[in-house]
Amino acid sequence: MELLGFLAQGLAVALEPQHLFLALAGCALGTLIGALPGLGPVNGVALMIPLTFNFNLTATAALILLVSLYYGCMYGGRISSILLNIPGDEPAMMTTLDGFPMAQQGRGGEALGLTGVASFVGALVATIGLVLFAPVLVNFAIRFGPAEYFALFVLAFATIGGVTGGHLAKSFLAACLGLLLGTVGIDAVSSVPRFTFGWYELYDGIDFIVALVGLFAISECLVFLEDSHQGRKPTMTLGSAMPGVRTAWQCRGSIGRSSLLGFIAGVLPGAGAALGSFLSYTLERRWQGARGHFGTGDPHGVAAPEAGNNAAAGGALIPMLSLGIPGSGTTAILLALLLSMNITPGPLLFENQPELVWGLVAALFIGNLMLLALNIPLVGLFARVLRAPGWFLMPMVIMVAFVGVYSLSNSAFDLYLMLAFGVLGYVLRKLEIPTVPVVLGLLLGGQMEYNLRRAMSISGGDWNIIWNSGISVGIYLFAIVLLLGGLLFHWLMKRGG
Amino acid sequence: MSEQARAVGDRIAGVLLLLVAVAAWWLSYDYTSGFGQTVGPGAFPRLVSVPLGLLSIYLIARPGVNQRWPERAALVRQLCLLVLLMVYAGLIQPLGFLPTALLTVTLMIRLFGASWRQALPFGLLLTLGLYLLFEFALGMPLPDMPGLNG
Repeated sequence: MELLGFLAQGLAVALEPQHLFLALAGCALGTLIGALPGLGPVNGVALMIPLTFNFNLTATAALILLVSLYYGCMYGGRISSILLNIPGDEPAMMTTLDGFPMAQQGRGGEALGLTGVASFVGALVATIGLVLFAPVLVNFAIRFGPAEYFALFVLAFATIGGVTGGHLAKSFLAACLGLLLGTVGIDAVSSVPRFTFGWYELYDGIDFIVALVGLFAISECLVFLEDSHQGRKPTMTLGSAMPGVRTAWQCRGSIGRSSLLGFIAGVLPGAGAALGSFLSYTLERRWQGARGHFGTGDPHGVAAPEAGNNAAAGGALIPMLSLGIPGSGTTAILLALLLSMNITPGPLLFENQPELVWGLVAALFIGNLMLLALNIPLVGLFARVLRAPGWFLMPMVIMVAFVGVYSLSNSAFDLYLMLAFGVLGYVLRKLEIPTVPVVLGLLLGGQMEYNLRRAMSISGGDWNIIWNSGISVGIYLFAIVLLLGGLLFHWLMKRGG
Repeated sequence: MSEQARAVGDRIAGVLLLLVAVAAWWLSYDYTSGFGQTVGPGAFPRLVSVPLGLLSIYLIARPGVNQRWPERAALVRQLCLLVLLMVYAGLIQPLGFLPTALLTVTLMIRLFGASWRQALPFGLLLTLGLYLLFEFALGMPLPDMPGLNG
C-alpha cells in the first residue's frame, strides 16, 4: 500500500500544469519525430537535450518531456512503416511486414487504429511493470559497493551486442572505442590531462551531447544525402482508424502475449525495443501457425510487434532508473541527461528524490492516455507529415542540432567536433559497427573507472576485490549466461535462415 | 570478388583501431600522478586498450559485412554538406546568426535536392522561423550580427 501513496504523490507532481503541458508537447512532438522516416527516438531525444538545458527546466520537468517524447516516438514509428513501407525507426521494422500489405489493401486506417491500441497496451503493461519491479531491483541494488557497480558496468557492456545482433566483435570494439573516448580530458582524481594533445577545448572531456548529436543526427543526414530520395508519398486512401479498435479486440491474445514478452526483452540490459518487436513478431508467427497469413497483411502480425516494442521501451526504463544502467540507446541518452543535471540514477534516487521518480511514472500513465487520443482519432494529421519533402526536413534537423549545441557552450569548436562525430558515425554505420555502444562507453566510462578506482583504493590495490563478493560473482555469471545465450541465438538464426 | 572487396573496409578499420589501441597503451604510461595512488590515471585507458587491440586483430583476421560505400556523386554531395557546415561554424561568430544561417540553409536545401525556386523562399522561411523560435519563443539568444546591437 506504500506504493499507492507514492503513486498519489507522483500524480500530484505530474498534474502540475507545466508538467502536463510538457507531457503533451513531448507526446505530440515524439509522434511527429517517430513518424518521419529515419528519425527515431534516439535522434529525437538527442536533438531535444540541448534545448532542455536552455529552457532551464528542472530535472523532473526535463525527464517528463523527454520520456513522453520517447514514448511518442515509439507510437509514431509505426505510421511510416504502415503507410510507406519505410520504418520510422528501427523497432518499427517488423511492423512493415504486415502493416504495409494491410495499407495496400486499403486497410491503412484500420492498421493504424489497431497499432494505436496495441502500442497503448504494450506501454501500459510496461509502466505497470515499472511500478512493480523497479522498487524490487532498488532494494537489491542498495547493497552494491564499488566492486559490484564495476561488475554491473561489465554486464552492461558484455550484453550490448550479445542480444542485439550483428557481428559480435564489432559491438565490443565500439564499446571499447567509446570507453577510450570517455577518458579524454582532465582526470577527475589526479587532474592529469589525458589524450588532449594540448587542446584546451578538450580539457573538460568530450561533451556527451556533442558526440551524440553528431553520431546520430548528423550521420543520419549524411546517409540521407546518399540516395536521392524521390519521396514516396502515401497515396492510398487512409480510411477511419476506428474499425481498428474492434480488430484490436480480436487480436487481444497477441497483444497481451507480445506486451509481456516485449517487457521482458526491454528490462534485459542492452537488448532494447528492436529486440522486443522482433521476438514478439516471431513468437506470434509461431503461435498462429497455419491459421495466420503473416507477411500478407495479418492484423496479428501488426499488433504483435507494436505491442512488443512499446512494452520494451517502457521496460528499458527500469534498469536505467533503478541501477543507472541503460537498457537501450535512448535510455542511455536519458541517463546522460540525468547525469549532466547532477542526478545519479540508482537506488539512492528512489530514496532521495521520490517526487522525481514517481512524478515520472505518473506522467507516463497520463502521457500514454494522451498518446492513445493523439494516435487514434488524430492519426491522419501525423500521417500528413510524411508528405513533407526531405529537402526541407533534413536541413531543419541539422539547424536545430547546430543551434542547440552552439547555445550550450557558444564555442565553434563544439560544432567542428560534432561534425567529426557525424563523419565517424557515418563510417561506423557503413562498416556495420553499431554506434550505440560507442555512446554507452563514452557515457558510462567515467563512472566505470571511478568505481574501479574506488574499489581498488578500498582493497589497497588488490585486484581480487573485483570478484570477491557473491553479488559480483552473480552478476558476472549472469553476464556470461546472457552472452552465451546471445551467441546461441545467433547460431540458431544462422542455421535457421 | 565482391566478398573480398567488402572485407577491405573492415580490415582498414581494424588496422586503424589497432593503431589507436597501441597509441593509447603507449601514451597511458605518461599519465602518472605523484600521490602513490593504487590505481593511477593511466590504468583504465590501458585496461581498455587491451580488448580494443585484440578485437581489432580479430576484425582484421575475420572481417564481416559492410554496407555499400557511396558512389562518387553522393560522396561529392556529402563533402559539400560538411564544407557548408564548417563554413557555418566558422562564420557564426564573426557574422552572427541571420546572415550565416540564411546562406547555409538556402544552399543546404538546394543540396538536398530542391530547385532554386524552392530553396530561396524556404531558406528564408526556415531561417526566420528558427530565429523567431529560438530568440523569442524559447528565449535562447543567438549570436547577433555585429553592429546591430552596438
